[in-house]
Amino acid sequence: MWRRPALAAALLLCCAAGIQAQTKMPDWSGQWEIVGVTPNASGGVQESFEQVLKQMQWSPPNRPEVQARLDQIAAAQLKSLAAQDQGAEPLASGPTCTWGFPAVMIDSPLMFEILPTLGETVLIFSGREVRHVYTDGREHTPKDELWATPWGDSIGHWEGQTLVVDTIAVKSAARGASPDFLPIVAFGGGGTAGFRMKVVANLSSQARFVERIRMVDNGHLEDQMTIIDPASLTAPWHLSRTYRRAANVHRMVYEDCEGEDRNPIVNGHYTIVPPPSHTLGSAPAPTNAPAGQPTVPN
Amino acid sequence: MKRVLNCTLIAIAAMLTASSALAHHSFAMFDQSKTVTIQGTVKDFRWTNPHVFIQVMVKNDQGVDEEWSIEMTSPEHLVRVGWKPGTLKPGDKVTLNIHPLRDGNIKGGQYLNGTGPDGPLIGAPQPSPGEGK
Repeated sequence: MWRRPALAAALLLCCAAGIQAQTKMPDWSGQWEIVGVTPNASGGVQESFEQVLKQMQWSPPNRPEVQARLDQIAAAQLKSLAAQDQGAEPLASGPTCTWGFPAVMIDSPLMFEILPTLGETVLIFSGREVRHVYTDGREHTPKDELWATPWGDSIGHWEGQTLVVDTIAVKSAARGASPDFLPIVAFGGGGTAGFRMKVVANLSSQARFVERIRMVDNGHLEDQMTIIDPASLTAPWHLSRTYRRAANVHRMVYEDCEGEDRNPIVNGHYTIVPPPSHTLGSAPAPTNAPAGQPTVPN
Repeated sequence: MKRVLNCTLIAIAAMLTASSALAHHSFAMFDQSKTVTIQGTVKDFRWTNPHVFIQVMVKNDQGVDEEWSIEMTSPEHLVRVGWKPGTLKPGDKVTLNIHPLRDGNIKGGQYLNGTGPDGPLIGAPQPSPGEGK
């Protein structure tokens, strides 16, 4: 007879502990955007490139041979952007909605939500990318089950109200990129192309990322990231990014690379085609497009 | 060997600059050195991914209506600066500043800013002279 009250008490304690644990989860609700990569109405960035670089204060300890390669890439980029100013059009090889990690956390213009739960924190990005950070005490995926992806393999734990995340097995989201091409890119507005960028580091497939994500005030989150990658860095690289709740947004607004794409490549140049007919089942008719077959929609 | 290296670097640079990252493709299709002002009537405000378009009927020099396609960024980005699917409606009179397509045979351009029936439309900040060069 006495077992029932004891069982009820045990259940009550268990539930209370669970509720207490849940109430300790931080309130990180809302749509977050990276400070410094705020889009404008034309497709550029609100902040100038100079502002972005100043705000970032990034100085990765690149290995000399890596820095030499980055300098060459930067020079080639400058030429490419200068050519764009003159009308040259570098053509993307495919959709660019996939950013991958760590870009989604440090230089993406896309909003995201963070859902902390007892055993897992999920980060959902407007481009439908998702990071799963398991906080249930598990280890990383065993080596014989692990392969590199643009989002990596993440586990984490809570230190008070700070989420500590450990991520490995990351590869670039760029199509055709080699395993050891994982560029860290700084974006900003400016220039006649509407934006500027610079590759500040290039990581290897062995890179390990440790993040400490916490609320710094009522409207801002901070991600202090340490990147450990002896193949490309002479020492761990510490960088940080601040996120703020996006204005005017009260629910997720999805980004989609496909949708109603009206920028096909025709005769080697991007163009605009008329909107598709409203008639159900009819195909878009590029009636005023120049001769040539649209290819590689992006 | 050096040629191969250079080609690789150019490919990497092209890959990184092929899209604006915010616009899904290069802006080089628009003549960034020219700003054109068009006045007309909204035919359709197409709130679509990956880009929003304002379809505007504009009278040409002969008084004939021509349809212009004015490209904006994505809905995800536009809501954050204050645009909504209902910001413009068919029949609205608008004045738009745009960077026109380099291909002058197609009536289209990149949205910069403008005015609508309720006053100024939210636009892109204009770079200060010399910025970003």
